Amino acid sequence: MINKYKLGTYLMRFLVYILLFLLLVITIVPIWLLIVNATRSTTEIQQGISILPSTHMIENYRLLISKGLNLPRGFANSLFLATSSTIITVYFSLLTAYGLVVYNFPGKKLFSNFIIVLVMIPMQLSIIGFYRFMSKLGLTDNYVALIFPLIANAGAVFFGKQYLESMIIQDLIDAARIDGASELGIFHKVMMPLAIPGAATMGIFAFVASWNNFFNPFIMISSIEKYTLPMLVQTLRGDVYRTEYGAIYLGLALTIVPIIIIYAIFSRYIISGIALGAIKE
Amino acid sequence: MNFTQLKKNSTGYLFLTPFIIGFLVFGLYPVVNTLALSFTDATLMSRSSHFIGIDNFKRLFADNVFIRAVGNTWLIWICNFIPQIGIALLLSVLFTSARLKIKGVGVWRAIYYLPNLLMPAAVAALFNALFAYYGPANQFMVRAGFLSEAMRFLESITVTRGLVVFIQWWTWFGQTMIILMAGMTSIPIPLYEAAMVDGASVWQMFTRITLPLLKPILIFIFVTSLVGGMQMFDIPFLLTDGRGSPLSSIQTNNILMYMKFASSKGHIGAAASVGVLVFIMTSICALGIFYILRDRDLDQPKPARKSLDKKNAERPQS
Repeated sequence: MINKYKLGTYLMRFLVYILLFLLLVITIVPIWLLIVNATRSTTEIQQGISILPSTHMIENYRLLISKGLNLPRGFANSLFLATSSTIITVYFSLLTAYGLVVYNFPGKKLFSNFIIVLVMIPMQLSIIGFYRFMSKLGLTDNYVALIFPLIANAGAVFFGKQYLESMIIQDLIDAARIDGASELGIFHKVMMPLAIPGAATMGIFAFVASWNNFFNPFIMISSIEKYTLPMLVQTLRGDVYRTEYGAIYLGLALTIVPIIIIYAIFSRYIISGIALGAIKE
Repeated sequence: MNFTQLKKNSTGYLFLTPFIIGFLVFGLYPVVNTLALSFTDATLMSRSSHFIGIDNFKRLFADNVFIRAVGNTWLIWICNFIPQIGIALLLSVLFTSARLKIKGVGVWRAIYYLPNLLMPAAVAALFNALFAYYGPANQFMVRAGFLSEAMRFLESITVTRGLVVFIQWWTWFGQTMIILMAGMTSIPIPLYEAAMVDGASVWQMFTRITLPLLKPILIFIFVTSLVGGMQMFDIPFLLTDGRGSPLSSIQTNNILMYMKFASSKGHIGAAASVGVLVFIMTSICALGIFYILRDRDLDQPKPARKSLDKKNAERPQS
């Protein structure tokens, strides 16, 4: 009986590892092909598949920027936009979450539920009204229109609330009050330093979300010198590069690799952050 | 409550003020504005616009373009969600199994999650290149003998829709799995031990203990996936020509809205009407599902009590 059970376990384990390996291949192959093809010339790419990199990366890069695609500027734009978005999201979401966790006031429960409802409402679909509003204010084609709305980022507030509730800070706050610190001062000087791990996780998600965001910049931004990386990806799909596969793959790889590097460094924070962002009762 | 306490607690409102102002200006007002625009003939060029009643909505239903876009979006979402939740549930059961003791769980799930972080626009363009006529997919299929000659994948409705479904699944199954695993590891182990003593099978433990206790998390995954799925844009937009080709088979709600917005006249009134209808449809579905399925849980005073009741209820049946 025991042996049969053990044998069954071994067999099941073997089948499970096969399944895991298959899923691994499915997950990795497209990304691997992208990175490998970024280093191969268009001729090599058309000759067949390779799983090993080649030596034409520099050549591909020259070709990529020779056709009017200003990748470095796109990179700088995306970096600026993602960094500002991250700062705004983290600061204001923690501020809101702190207010919800630390104070007791009428309507607190209602507001918390309202945040959850906001997470479940498809706000992106009001982009037309948003565009018209911004155009009246003269803020279309301006990063302000992409950054300021993040002051009210329901998903991030929800995450911040979950995080702050898992910390015990009430004693420290009371101690700071006795020392005569102002309420906002306590938030800045006591809470902020303590919440750095949570703020970092929230920041990574905010950064990635902004870096990858295509739809909103695509609607709001019109001048080419303000294009972000996802918008340049759309240009890569155009006629100019039609047959230059090596350059196309390289352009795509360059937009993706920074995120892979960030993930390689912070994967532990990111993965523990995902679970915290989900509703747990 | 004394005066200083009252003063301190009302400071809470102060902390919420930026969010509330931000929400009113950048969240609520655009929704109201979109609704108002949907009843007008506003265009991008014109400064003024006229109230035209429900003409925009009538026009949406006059041909089957809108219905088709909604149908496409639902089809793609459902076809991706079922295998996504299926694989995620299977993986999280396997990874948390005390019997199997799978090695390197952290590494496996870190890899499966990776696609979720990659730029959807770049992923769509990548699959466009991989499935191009001269692309690697054709090279592989022809050389391995699966196809006698190269195929125009992105001109086939089935293949193109299948690719969008696949990319969505590929992007999300890892994230769903991680959330489910967090839920499963928070289920108290004694529940399973008690069930084992009573002779429950693995399947019985899964359907009678795991699934019921995961319900809040499953609802959360379901609702957020639905809301995200109804706004799908980047992948179907950049996988083919930006109009949902071939034959509008991957033209989603948001692509249709964008096409109205970016048409030569810029009919933002018409675009707004698409946004309004999809907004209402999605919000009703999401909030409806959330409240219908949650009500019974909220009646229970404490989660711990509930678990025990569940366990006792299991006993006679096993």
